[in-house]
Amino acid sequence: MTLLARTADRLHWAARYLERAEDSARVLRSFGELFADFPASGLRWGSLVAVAGSDARVEPVDGSDDNPVAHFLIADRDHPNSIAMTVERSRENLRTCREVLPREAWRTINDLSIFVRGAAPTSIDVRRRERFLDRVIDDSRRLDGVLQVSMTRDEAYEIWRLGRYIERADMTTRVLGVRAANLLALPPGVSDEFGEVQWMGVLRSLSALQMFQRATRGPIDGPSVVRFLLFDDRFPRSVAGCLSEIRSSVLRLPAYGEVLAAVETVDAELRRCRPTADDGVELDASMDRLQLALAALERVMHEQYVEH
Amino acid sequence: MDELLDDEGRPRDVAAALYRFFDEIGVDELRERQRSCDLEILTMGISFTVYSDGQNIDRSWPFDVVPRMIPGDEWERVERGLIQRLRAINQFIDDIYNEQRIIEAGVFPAELLDDSTNFRPECRGVRPKYGVWAHISGSDLVRGGDGTLYVLEDNLRVPSGVSYMLENRVVSKRVLPELFETYDVRPVDAYTDELNRILSSLAPEGRPDPTIVVLTPGVFNSAYFEHSFLAQRMGAELVEGADLVVGDDDCVYMTTIDGRARVDVIYRRLDDLFLDPEVFREDSMLGVRGLMRAWKAGNVAIANAPGAGMADDKVVYAWVPDIIRFYLDEEPLIANVPTYRCMYDDERDHVLAHLDELVLKPANESGGYGIVIGDRATPEELEEAAQAVRADPRNWVAQPILELSTAPTLVDDGDEPIEGRHLDLRPFILSGRHSYVTAGGLTRVALGKGSLVVNSSQGGGSKDTWIVDDSATAGMWGDWSAP
Repeated sequence: MTLLARTADRLHWAARYLERAEDSARVLRSFGELFADFPASGLRWGSLVAVAGSDARVEPVDGSDDNPVAHFLIADRDHPNSIAMTVERSRENLRTCREVLPREAWRTINDLSIFVRGAAPTSIDVRRRERFLDRVIDDSRRLDGVLQVSMTRDEAYEIWRLGRYIERADMTTRVLGVRAANLLALPPGVSDEFGEVQWMGVLRSLSALQMFQRATRGPIDGPSVVRFLLFDDRFPRSVAGCLSEIRSSVLRLPAYGEVLAAVETVDAELRRCRPTADDGVELDASMDRLQLALAALERVMHEQYVEH
Repeated sequence: MDELLDDEGRPRDVAAALYRFFDEIGVDELRERQRSCDLEILTMGISFTVYSDGQNIDRSWPFDVVPRMIPGDEWERVERGLIQRLRAINQFIDDIYNEQRIIEAGVFPAELLDDSTNFRPECRGVRPKYGVWAHISGSDLVRGGDGTLYVLEDNLRVPSGVSYMLENRVVSKRVLPELFETYDVRPVDAYTDELNRILSSLAPEGRPDPTIVVLTPGVFNSAYFEHSFLAQRMGAELVEGADLVVGDDDCVYMTTIDGRARVDVIYRRLDDLFLDPEVFREDSMLGVRGLMRAWKAGNVAIANAPGAGMADDKVVYAWVPDIIRFYLDEEPLIANVPTYRCMYDDERDHVLAHLDELVLKPANESGGYGIVIGDRATPEELEEAAQAVRADPRNWVAQPILELSTAPTLVDDGDEPIEGRHLDLRPFILSGRHSYVTAGGLTRVALGKGSLVVNSSQGGGSKDTWIVDDSATAGMWGDWSAP
């Protein structure tokens, strides 16, 4: 089966945007839970804005129900990475790829997009937020379920998976990167007072807490969290787990030589990372390098499959 | 006249069971079903795009829950008439671009070609397979006051609507399952398969497993939904001009993730003039440079063939009965609406003297634009129209104002919950190695009381069209379709 270069591009971005919406929803949901365990003064909504990859200055109102950060991340139509906009952009891209996907897939994204358009503006409030985020995550998963059981394993399927896993790996590095930045921001001599809770928050925001605990019996500390999220390839949101999925999809595409080389570069960067998370310097630099390698992979794919 | 109710307002035979069903469930439940339709259409993402206030707006497809019914025996005559009509029209187009026998015989005036906007001299001498130029057409049918079905126009360029016909059926099956048990309704979903077969049959020689693509102007086109739909249903690629390239070998290729792949058949949903900037509009960003070269070399089939629209001209329309007689030596099975051609002095004089009783139509507009309805126009508008006719007589025809038939429709603004609304019908006719007519077609309905405008961009709706087979209904409307 052939796949148009332009369709491949749109499909890839449809997958990335939907994964971005889902991952942001996971992060936001875990933040909601974290509030309950945390002294209000110690928690920075600003970190969330950073995880979303934005340096916008959103005036935070800590603990308030009418929260501009939550609005920025959920409903803001001027913020390209808000959940409302990523779902919309995923739908717009998928609308032009319907001929390569099972019919039910379109119905799922269309359904989600209708829901988000209606509900996003009223889901900032903490009491409604949770249900909204659950629905975004569930529908995103539902779409992969549809593809899982009803889509031929053709090039379009692999391109879709690549979009999902590249975005997911990227999100894991960003969550870790922001944690590193928080550590760096501590005044000299001040200990990481809520460290354990913070690291637990990292795990939660990647929906990884329970799986971490099953894999790592023992207390939650920085190095083991970093080790788990980077290297445990049995866990599907770890960078190593994403990379192994990426590699298996790349191998099923035509003329993958240079793309595979770019995957191996990401892998080499991953292996250089040291899980010495204590001061944040090393972690911060490693996550930057990983993100650059992922961006390079994205570029090589584009050159190989879209531009040529 | 109403198609489902007689002059006393009693259901005709074909509608008896429908009205029993409405009585049984009541109006509230019927409205509930209408809401289910709307919701279904929204989640299925059945939409059309309108351009308004400088923006492209994606609107949900408007659909009326009450089906329109046509008895099977009447439909069979319509089918035969449409196939006859398209056979003759295709022979006519092929003749015009080649020998021009019909002109030589004095049946069709040569001067009509000189200022025809859709005649393409670039296509002279081309001989598409089977002599067919208009592979996909969507003739608009209307029923007059006496029940006669007329062809109102032949859409031979890029007629749209078939996807909505198919989706309407999906929706009504889900929402009115009981009625499908009562009625023997002919299925419609063979269309995309038939289309696929027709398109495959057009492939160049020596291409046994042809690659078919649907060429769309892009996501901003009002019929993009349909372009995507047809590609999905045929397993074809949906391409834009930028995805295609004509190689040094004059073959057409599409750009895939694995390099170039040969394309054999293009179902284009793009106007002639945008197809190839090398031959037509130089500024076209939507077309493919060299496409006409590839087509003339026989390396790719294009459906509909470039130039097919020359017969889709409201002046040429007036000649279709003669065209049928000339090529087939048969009498037309479906009537033409009587048409006055302003290019002839006597017919123009009649038109100018009776403007307020006629519908005045420009030769080459579509979508209802430029039409003047005599009895609804102001004196100023009529004077303006008369001037336009005098200035460019070739470009105008006039027809009597038809009393379009109505069918019961669920309305919000009426005296009754269900009232008659005017409608038309667009069946789709496929021509190639074989011919095929859809079972029914797309019914469009003017939702406003008394309105005659059925276009969805101007407040029109649609209905599922049921061709009903039932011996009890046979012949109940008399022999209307015979001219």
